[in-house]
Amino acid sequence: MFKKSMVVLISLIFTIVSFSVVFSSEGPAGNDRKGKYTYRKVYKACAETGEIESATPKLSPADKTMEQWKTIFEAKTFEEFGCKDNWAAISDSDILDIYSYFYHHASDSPTPATCK
Amino acid sequence: MKTWCYKKLCLALITLSALFCFSQTSIATPFKNNEEALGRKLAKQAVKGSERWSTTDHKKIHALNQNFTSGEDITEACLSCHSEAATQFHKSIHWTWLASGDKSDLRYGKAGFSVNNFCISGNAMKDKGCLSCHTSWNNKGVKGEVNCLKCHNSSGFNFNEAFTDLKAFLEDDDPETKEMAKEIQQEIKQAVTSVTFPTRKNCGDCHFTGGGGDGVKHGDLDTSLTKPNRMLDVHMGIDGKNFSCTRCHTTVDHNIAGRIYTNPAVETRKSLIEDDLAPKITCVSCHSSEPHKNDSKMNDHTDVVSCQACHIPKFARVNPTKMWWDWSKAGKLKEGKPYVEKGPFGKPVYKSIKGEFKWEKNVIPEYFWFNGSLTSTTADDIIDPEQIVKVSHPVGDRTDPEARIFPFKMHRGKQPYDKVHKKLLAPLLSGKHGFWTTFDMNNAIEIGNKTLGLPYSGEFDYVETTYAFPITHMVAPKENALSCKECHIRQNSRLAAITSLYLPGRDKSGLMDTIGWFSVFGALAGVLLHGLGRFFTRNGKEN
Repeated sequence: MFKKSMVVLISLIFTIVSFSVVFSSEGPAGNDRKGKYTYRKVYKACAETGEIESATPKLSPADKTMEQWKTIFEAKTFEEFGCKDNWAAISDSDILDIYSYFYHHASDSPTPATCK
Repeated sequence: MKTWCYKKLCLALITLSALFCFSQTSIATPFKNNEEALGRKLAKQAVKGSERWSTTDHKKIHALNQNFTSGEDITEACLSCHSEAATQFHKSIHWTWLASGDKSDLRYGKAGFSVNNFCISGNAMKDKGCLSCHTSWNNKGVKGEVNCLKCHNSSGFNFNEAFTDLKAFLEDDDPETKEMAKEIQQEIKQAVTSVTFPTRKNCGDCHFTGGGGDGVKHGDLDTSLTKPNRMLDVHMGIDGKNFSCTRCHTTVDHNIAGRIYTNPAVETRKSLIEDDLAPKITCVSCHSSEPHKNDSKMNDHTDVVSCQACHIPKFARVNPTKMWWDWSKAGKLKEGKPYVEKGPFGKPVYKSIKGEFKWEKNVIPEYFWFNGSLTSTTADDIIDPEQIVKVSHPVGDRTDPEARIFPFKMHRGKQPYDKVHKKLLAPLLSGKHGFWTTFDMNNAIEIGNKTLGLPYSGEFDYVETTYAFPITHMVAPKENALSCKECHIRQNSRLAAITSLYLPGRDKSGLMDTIGWFSVFGALAGVLLHGLGRFFTRNGKEN
């Protein structure tokens, strides 16, 4: 009985740890490459409406840490990005792609976004 | 009669004093007239009609109007017209990263044994982090194809990123990404035809950010020179002459003049009047060796003092530059993770991957005798770790007729050396096995030295080093040039360290002072005696 309980307990701990490790290290599961272009398209469209002068996005993934992007995208608080109407029109799957792009290229990620 | 005499005597004394003072002022200050200085006149002539013109509109070139799928395809299109460009370029230092034309001579150059006290070594092009500045496609170094667009494209478009993404999207089944691929291809097509002579941005993408960031290395080269005003640089200022880099760094067969330790500046320190095909690499080329107005005392300085010494009063005038880099502090972690600490100017003062830094702005240069050559201590030279190691240092002294007093940025720091072999070391930094990933300096050195084929004993420590950069950009307008008092002053003279010559105002010699004062008072006494003699021997004659 004790042996069985121990096996179940160890299996449970193993499962929980494995899940948390997998999920914490992987981050959002969107297509980050696609997210990069979707993000740029948002600003191109926004610049065409005249709301902003330059089509170059003002925020880069390397401007914040993974944790900071997580907070922003999970709460869907996109005010800092500007172009409110354009952001409102983005589908959930596109948002996930953009989130993946920002998360996986954040300043403390293994591959921070650079200008090169 | 007595009053008349007294009045005349006073008048004579005042006149003499005024004459004395005026003669002193006329020596110390430049001759003021409306005549233009010779140096300015000649320079205007040298750059007359400097507007570049071309007989080709690259937008109309058939070879460039295609759907490129790789950078190498673009190079092939370029070479279909410019057939010899790659062959020429393969022989240049921008491609080989070796100072010698002989590829087996590894002594000097980023791809050879040369080291510095920034990111230390290029590890024979094995450090992929450095290769982002090599002029090849996809960081392949000399094994790759020449990326002509690195220097000849003004679009600012990121071709490497675009081709990587394009490849990934074309292999994807998602119809949306296929659509994105088409858009990328269109963007490439548009950008590729923005062909240009090298702009300041083209050169600056690497030379402004050398050493790992904006203004890190040179002090007189940073992104502020992409669009400078004339207060920052009279030659490159967009409201001034708006020179591109290649206006002075003239080019023959893709070899760009200006690499001074292999091509000393003195060899080309001649005016275009002497040789109109001479590279315009020095001030003298355009401004001549007597650049100031006639009778100006400043023209007497040009055989001893470089133009830069007075006309670049400070460097890093817009962006700060790195002045200290201590590798011995690198590798500290917080909660097992690398971290960054920021300090003044919003610049990092500590990075786990690189160590400790100090930054400065508006820096007063240090001055040395300089004949246009620099000595280098490479990873293959024996050092004395008890002394500060001069990794790069100017050559020249008072007795060298080609040497001038020249301004320098001295970058100081600490870097690893081999305790047994007494040589500087070349740790590999980027990549899977580099220090920036493993934080294991010993292992990084072992791999890094192996890339250069140099032995490593397995024991290392850190030694203090200096690296000298000649300051020659950021030439200020003439009204901001140094005044005489900056050097000719007893306390805090800019040339306090130049002790091998007598500098009036700074130096004091009892004998010189005695002779000087004796001459002054002797002359005064002579004039007075002469005047008085004339006065008292007139015997009351009025006329």
